[in-house]
Amino acid sequence: MKKPVLFLLAAVFLLPLVVRPAIASEIWIFAIFGLGANLLMGYTGLLSFGQSTFFGSAAYVAGWLMKVQGVNAFLALAAGIGVGAASAAVVGYLCVQRSGLYFIMLTFALNQLFYFTAYQWTSITGGEDGMPGVPRPEFFGVDFKDPVIYYALVSGLFLLSLYLMKRIVESPLGKILQAIRENEVRAEAVGYAVPRFKLLAFVIGGAFSGLAGVLYAMLFGIVPLESISFVFSGNVIFATLIGGSGSLYGPVIGSFVFIWLSESMSTVWARWPLLLGVAFVLVVMFLRGGLVEAWTRFWTWRSSKLKT
Amino acid sequence: MLYALMGLGLSLVTGILNIPNFAHGALFAVGAYLLATVAVALGNFWLALLIAPLGVALLGLAIEYAGIRRLYAAGHDYQLLFTFGLALILSESIILIWGPIGSSYLPPEILRGGMDLGFTMYPKYRLFVMVAAGLLIFATWLFLEKTRYGAIMRAGIENKEMVSLLGIDIRMMFTVAFAMGAYLAGIAGALTAPIRGLNPGMGPDMLGIAFVVVALGGLGNLLGAIAAGLIIGVAQALVAAYWTEASTVVIYAVMAVILLVRPQGLFGIR
Amino acid sequence: MKKLSRRDVLKAGAGVAAASTVAGFPSILRAQSKEIVILGLWDQTGAFADVGPINDRGMKMALEERGMQVLGRPIKYITRDGATQAGTSTRRTEEAVDGDGAKFVIGPWSSGVALAVSEVAKRKKVLHLFSGGTEDISGARCHRYSFQWAASPYTAAKTVVDSFMKANPKAKRWHLLVADYAFGWSVEKYIKEVGKTHGIEFVGADRHPLGEREFSNYVQKAAANKPDAVAMVNFGGDAVAGAREIFNFGLTPKVPLIMSWSSGVEELVQLSPEIRQNIWVGSNFYYTADTPGAKEFVKNYSAKFGNPPGYAPSAAYSMTRLLLAGFDKAKSPEVQDVIKALEGIEVNDIVGRMKMDAATHQNIRPYFFMRCKQKAAMKHETDFADIIATGDAPLPKEYAACKDIGSF
Repeated sequence: MKKPVLFLLAAVFLLPLVVRPAIASEIWIFAIFGLGANLLMGYTGLLSFGQSTFFGSAAYVAGWLMKVQGVNAFLALAAGIGVGAASAAVVGYLCVQRSGLYFIMLTFALNQLFYFTAYQWTSITGGEDGMPGVPRPEFFGVDFKDPVIYYALVSGLFLLSLYLMKRIVESPLGKILQAIRENEVRAEAVGYAVPRFKLLAFVIGGAFSGLAGVLYAMLFGIVPLESISFVFSGNVIFATLIGGSGSLYGPVIGSFVFIWLSESMSTVWARWPLLLGVAFVLVVMFLRGGLVEAWTRFWTWRSSKLKT
Repeated sequence: MLYALMGLGLSLVTGILNIPNFAHGALFAVGAYLLATVAVALGNFWLALLIAPLGVALLGLAIEYAGIRRLYAAGHDYQLLFTFGLALILSESIILIWGPIGSSYLPPEILRGGMDLGFTMYPKYRLFVMVAAGLLIFATWLFLEKTRYGAIMRAGIENKEMVSLLGIDIRMMFTVAFAMGAYLAGIAGALTAPIRGLNPGMGPDMLGIAFVVVALGGLGNLLGAIAAGLIIGVAQALVAAYWTEASTVVIYAVMAVILLVRPQGLFGIR
Repeated sequence: MKKLSRRDVLKAGAGVAAASTVAGFPSILRAQSKEIVILGLWDQTGAFADVGPINDRGMKMALEERGMQVLGRPIKYITRDGATQAGTSTRRTEEAVDGDGAKFVIGPWSSGVALAVSEVAKRKKVLHLFSGGTEDISGARCHRYSFQWAASPYTAAKTVVDSFMKANPKAKRWHLLVADYAFGWSVEKYIKEVGKTHGIEFVGADRHPLGEREFSNYVQKAAANKPDAVAMVNFGGDAVAGAREIFNFGLTPKVPLIMSWSSGVEELVQLSPEIRQNIWVGSNFYYTADTPGAKEFVKNYSAKFGNPPGYAPSAAYSMTRLLLAGFDKAKSPEVQDVIKALEGIEVNDIVGRMKMDAATHQNIRPYFFMRCKQKAAMKHETDFADIIATGDAPLPKEYAACKDIGSF
């Protein structure tokens, strides 16, 4: 096994010793969400500002299924993935023809549309109050109510997602998506049906987002309204950018840094968003490519030092 | 009218600079706060209305010079991250400087109260804002249509390479455009202060609407932005009158539908 | 980077499962058992960012009065930023319960978020006290772990309508402006119920979304109805924006405006004296309340912070004192003992006599009705209003939605 894998496994095991299982779980859930966003943003070059549409829809549907219909965890997860993919298919179908700022705005507007629908549909979603009382149903006799066991489930699914994503981006499909990112016209000219591939990226990304959404709802026992808000969409983009978009581990590192930082800063200073803003600006100014890039740069710098 | 003013400023920035400026709402809020502060300090609303937006324009100038300038070549994602970070910094600074609690700033004495227009009551100050915003929009239009520099800016929206090939300092033009956008956001904020009062959340509230206006009007289409601002305002008023609960959804629904049917916006050229 | 083989992933998965089921992760540091850990969940960011810091002040004062201890044990006070969001608040509450050993939770300010936190309290079996705004915590979604400090929406509506009609018997045409969520609906319902007994005609009732800032359309409609009075059922920024717009349209001061469930000082300070003319305010607390507790508290608070306390610090203060009174009565720091002690407890606090109804966990207490002062009559900058009436009519049995408070 090579370094990154060892590193990740160490992180998965050590994280709950450093932070509480709830935060640790949230970090990996957010990382799954980030993986999906990164496929669109980093690999396909589609800056979707509406990822929480898929995250939130999946959370609501799966939460409702578990709460009202009493389905088990496995079915709920499957349903969430399905809803995430389906909603992404709809949004993607409407958006893939657009590009640039229009694309961003359209995904944003559709996100708002879903948000206000959830806001108004209080009988199901609870509106502003969120949908509370989402259970963590047991599955094959395993009781997920214990935070540590739930963490094991989340981190296991995270590793699985990461592995799947790795396979996807290294597959021919991944290469095509990257070709679209690099030069859409050329990809089209070579004979790829660009919109169809973009749509596919949407659906896959949506499935990952959906998985993350269900895990999130089960983690906190509630589907809060903000889980479908554009703030959430923004957060996942920013986390990915901080980590480094377009690299497999970028969103993972980004979610870790983003959640951990905002959690720890918020207990230190009430005006912590100011620091977050400064961090954003600094990343843009000096660290395009995010932390992954910083890491690579650091190693190149060190090896060049060693040589001389 | 205010929507149109906000949209116009944002449209300038997005159209010429091709940047999604998420800090536009924060600049709007800074304008409102500056107005109240200056007006209280000088005891004169009209003078403050003159000074406050200029302060915001200066701030815009500084921001462009120190940061945005380096971003033109970067992708939208980094521009987004940067302006969002900027918005966070600005709105948290507002809390640090002016405190988290909102306050009211009253319109000047002669513009207080309502006026009976026969068919409905309407606040005098709002009528004033309509006129003022109308004049401002007209002035901006005059500048863009009738002056040489305005013509260059319009050309810049159409084709940046050509403009720079003609030997015009395009970086200077970007700076001017950003400062103008900031000025328009600032004056929209200043005019709004007596209507909506001051609170740190006022920027984000306005930002969403400004984006809708720009998208509807068509990127970089200034007349489009004006028209779209009016349409959104009227649509919201109509919906609020008949189905109040939906008045917030409607602007996004309208935007989504129009963008699907006419992706270039109502009056977009690109 | 080498490829991650399928085997690695399987190993990893198995490893995680093994570690958790067999050995279990080492437990996270626990709070010392002697300490009593109390969490104040106050928003520092989000819609109620302005309220959290002063909530915190009030709670601290109540704890410091007792030398930070109760039953001879030290109190560890921790506070977390709930961000005025249900997700963040529930998450941070759970972390405080699991990680810091908090067994008693007070807050947060937003009623919607408090409902979500109430679910956490039920699941984690910790005591939860919150101020109010929603009818559900002591109503349809009542349970053994949550208590509501604020007056019932019925008490509020009854006090407001009765007292206003007493002062303005001719104002029979009302226009209502209601925040469109659970809290607004319940107060609206009771205002209409009580209004019937006075023969009030409701010429219009519009609902606006939470966080509305553009009130011109609503106010235009209200003006068109030519009402004798406008009553708002909303809170915080919505109420401030609404009152300001009503003034801008020239409705007030000609037509009286009633803010039926107001935070008092926190909202009034955001309006200028001109806007406040002819505004009538219903609130859970106002600092001129004529009770020994209030006088003492207002004196200390003003001395410390230079201005009289608003509703937010006072609610936090009073809730904390209620909790401490529960400890005293229970003579035990165990959650269930304190809950039993709080059920039916009677105390004399800053708002006057309070009794916690054991069957619904609803605090039965006075509600205040004030009239704002003219600018010339204000003795100092924060002298906003006079209390003209109080009322404490409890919710009639037939309306009570909490049929069974349940067991632990």
